[in-house]
Amino acid sequence: MQLLKTLLVLLLISAPLPALAYDVLVLQSLREKGYDQAVKGVKRECAASMRTVILSDYVEIDLTRILREEHPRLIVAVGDRALEVAEKQRHTPVLYMMALHAKPRPGAPVTGVGMLLEPHRYFSVFDSLGSRRVGVICDPARTGAYVKRAQSAARRSGIDLVVREVRSPKETLAMLESLRGKVDGLWMLPDITAVSAETTEAYFLFSQGERVPLVSFADIYLSMGGAVSLAIDRYDIGRQLGSMAQSVLEGTPVDDIPVQAPRRVQMKVNEGVLRRLKLPVPGGG
Amino acid sequence: MIRRPRIPHAAKNFRFRIYFIFTVTIALLTAAFACFYVITEVNGYRSTMEREGRLLATVLAQNARLPLFAENQEALGLLAAGTARYPSVLYVTISDNEGRLLAEVSNPRDPGGGTIDMHVDVTSPGLVSSPEAVLLGHAPVVEKRVIGKVHLRLDTSSAQERLKKLVAATLAIGTLFWLVVSLLSYQVLKRVTASFNQLMRGIEDIGSGNLSARVSLESDDELGRASNAINSMAASLELRELENLSLQEELIKAMRLEVQEEKKRVMARLIHTNKMTSLGLLLSSMAHEINNPNASIRFSGHIISKIWTDAVPLLDGVWRDEGEFYLGGLPFQQARGALTENAGKIVENSERIARVIQGLRDYGVGDRARLRPDLQINAAVESALSVLACQMQKDIQLKTVLGSNIPVITGNQHQVEQVLINLILNAMQAFPDGRGEVVLSTRYEARVSEVVIDIEDNGVGISAETMERLFEPFYSTKLDRGGSGLGLYISHYIVAEHGGRLQLSSRAERGTRARVILPVADGPS
Repeated sequence: MQLLKTLLVLLLISAPLPALAYDVLVLQSLREKGYDQAVKGVKRECAASMRTVILSDYVEIDLTRILREEHPRLIVAVGDRALEVAEKQRHTPVLYMMALHAKPRPGAPVTGVGMLLEPHRYFSVFDSLGSRRVGVICDPARTGAYVKRAQSAARRSGIDLVVREVRSPKETLAMLESLRGKVDGLWMLPDITAVSAETTEAYFLFSQGERVPLVSFADIYLSMGGAVSLAIDRYDIGRQLGSMAQSVLEGTPVDDIPVQAPRRVQMKVNEGVLRRLKLPVPGGG
Repeated sequence: MIRRPRIPHAAKNFRFRIYFIFTVTIALLTAAFACFYVITEVNGYRSTMEREGRLLATVLAQNARLPLFAENQEALGLLAAGTARYPSVLYVTISDNEGRLLAEVSNPRDPGGGTIDMHVDVTSPGLVSSPEAVLLGHAPVVEKRVIGKVHLRLDTSSAQERLKKLVAATLAIGTLFWLVVSLLSYQVLKRVTASFNQLMRGIEDIGSGNLSARVSLESDDELGRASNAINSMAASLELRELENLSLQEELIKAMRLEVQEEKKRVMARLIHTNKMTSLGLLLSSMAHEINNPNASIRFSGHIISKIWTDAVPLLDGVWRDEGEFYLGGLPFQQARGALTENAGKIVENSERIARVIQGLRDYGVGDRARLRPDLQINAAVESALSVLACQMQKDIQLKTVLGSNIPVITGNQHQVEQVLINLILNAMQAFPDGRGEVVLSTRYEARVSEVVIDIEDNGVGISAETMERLFEPFYSTKLDRGGSGLGLYISHYIVAEHGGRLQLSSRAERGTRARVILPVADGPS
C-alpha cells in the first residue's frame, strides 16, 4: 500500500513535465477559421511538438515568461498581432503567416510566408485577358514596395502598369475617375487604404462603366462583378510555413530563409462577366 | 296631450314605404361604399407617395454613397438636383454623419396641401469586408455604417387635389348609381306591388260591406292564393249574412208571436188580479150583509134556548100532570130533546157562519202589516183551514197533525195564514183525478228553536223544469185554471220577511212536501 502511494505521488509530479516540453509555440491572434486552417497546414508538415496560445483569450500575455519557463525552439506567429507580440523578443526565431502588414526588422530572426501572390501571376492572367494597360491603386505606405516589384514584373510581361497612389480611402474614387479611358484592365490589391468597405463598390462600377475586367485577390469579389480572382490557399500557406518550421528545427538558420510568397494560387472566374466583356476564360484554351 | 305628427297619406302606402326604405338603404350603402372607396384610395395614394418618396430617398442615398464618402460636393449637388426634378419633391439635402450639409436643393413652390419629410441614412454597403478580412478568411461584418443622411421633403398637395377629384367623381357616380337603381327599383316595385294594390282594393271593397265584391287577381303566387282565400271568405260571409237575415226575420216573427202570447197572459193575470180585488171587495160587503142577519139568528137561537130552558120545567109539569102531548107533531119527550138540540145547532152554526165570515174578512181586508209577538201557529193553521173549509173536496182527505207545546212566534197571523192557504191549495190541486191525501203537521224543533209546518201530498209531484222556476213571479202551471203565478212568490217573500225559510221538495208521481220553517224569537218559553 505504501508502495502504491509513492508511485501515485511520483506519477502526479511527473505528469506535467511532458506537457511543458515542446518545440514550437504557436501564437494565434484570434480564434478564426482562416487561422485554424493555416495552423492545421503547419501541423500537417511539421511533426514537432507544439503549444498553441490564442492571444484573444488573454487580456495581456507575458511571452517572455512563457519562453523562459517553457523554452520553445521556435515561435509560429499567426496573424499581425501575434507577429507583433512575437517580434518583441529577440532570442527565439519567429516564423509568421497570415500577417498582411508584416514588415520584419532587418536582422531580426523573423521570416515567414506573405499574403501577396507574386505579381507575375496576375500579369499572366491580364495577358491572357488581353489587357495591356492595367490600372492599380495603392497606398505607398502599405503596398508601395509590392507595386514596385509589380512594375518590374509588368515590364517583363509587356504590360503597362498605370499606378495611382492614395493616402486615404476618400481619394480612391478620384483616382479611379482619373483612370477612366486610360486602362483596359483593373487590378485590385489587398490594400486597405485603396480598397475599403466604402470604396469597393466603386471598383466594380468602374469595371462595369469602362467595360474592363477587374482582377481581384479573393473570389468573394466575383459575386460583386469581378472578372477573375487569384486567391491564396490558407491551408497551403500553413503547409508552406510548416516546411519552413521543420527546416528551422532541423538546424537551418532563420536568416537563411527568405520571406516567401504563397506558392499555391486558386484562380476563379466569373464567366458571366467575361462573357459580357467578350473576353476569353484565362487558361481555358 | 302629445300631438302625433300627421303622416302624409302617401307614407301609408305599402309601395311608397318599401320604395322609401329601399332607396334610403341604397343611398346609405352607396354613401358608405363611396366613403370607403375614397378613404382607401386617399390612404393608398398617400402611402404610394410615401413609398415613392422613400424610394427616391433610398435611391438618392444609394447613389450618394460613393460621392458622400469621397465628399464630392459637386457630384452630390448633381444627384440632389436630379432628385429635385421630380414634381413632388420640394426640398433635398444630403449631409454627412457629422451634420455638415454637402448638397441642398429646394424648389420655390408653395406646398399648399402639406408636406411629408423623408429621412434616409446613407450607409456603407453591408457584407463587404475589408481586404484584410477577406484574405484572412474572417467572417464578413453585417453591420452597416452610417456615413450620412438624405432628407427629402415631398409636396402632398397633389393628394389633396386627387382627393377633391375623387370625391367629386365618386359623388357623381354614386348619385348616378343611386338614381338608376332607384328608378329600376321603382319599376320593379310597381310591377311587384300592382297585384298587392289590386288585392287591397278588393279587401277594402269587401271590408266596406260589399260582400258580393271579389278580388280579381289571376296569379298562382302567394297573393293569388290570398285573393282566392279572401274571395272564399267573402262568399262564405255573404252566405252567412243571407242566413242571418232569414233567421232575423224568423226571430222577429217569433218575437211578435211571443209578445202577443205574453200580452195575453199578462192581460189574463191582470184580469185575474182584478177579479181577486173585486172578490175581496165582494167578500167584505158580503161579510157585512151576512153578519147582521147572522147575529140576529144567533141572538134568536140564544133567546129560543133560554126560553126553552125556562119553559121545559113548566112543560115537564104539564106532562107529568096531564100526560103525553105533542109539540110540532112530535111527542113532548121527543120534542123536548130535539128543540134543545136544534136551538144549540142554531147558535153553533150561526157562530160558525160568523167565524167563516170573519175569516174571509180577515183574509181580504185584514190588517196585514201588524206583527204579533204571540202568534200561535196552530191557531193560524186552524184559521186557514176554516177559510178553506168550503174548498174542501170530498175525495181529498185533509189530515191535520198539530204538535203540542209549540211556542209562540213573532209574526203576522194573516200573512202566515195566507202562506198556509196558498200551500194547502197547491197541495189540493196536485191530484189530476181529484183523489188523494194532504197531511198538514206542525212541530217544534227545540234544538234549533224553529217551528216547522209541513204540508205533504201524494200527488203528481213537480217537474224538474218547474222546480227551477217555482219562486218566479207570474210563473204558474195552472194559469188556465185561474192560477196567478204569485202564490209561491208571495209565500216565499212572506216567509223570508219572517226570517224563515220555505222549502219545496218533490218526487215525480210520489208527491210534494212544502215546509215552512219559522224561527222562535226568544227560544222556547
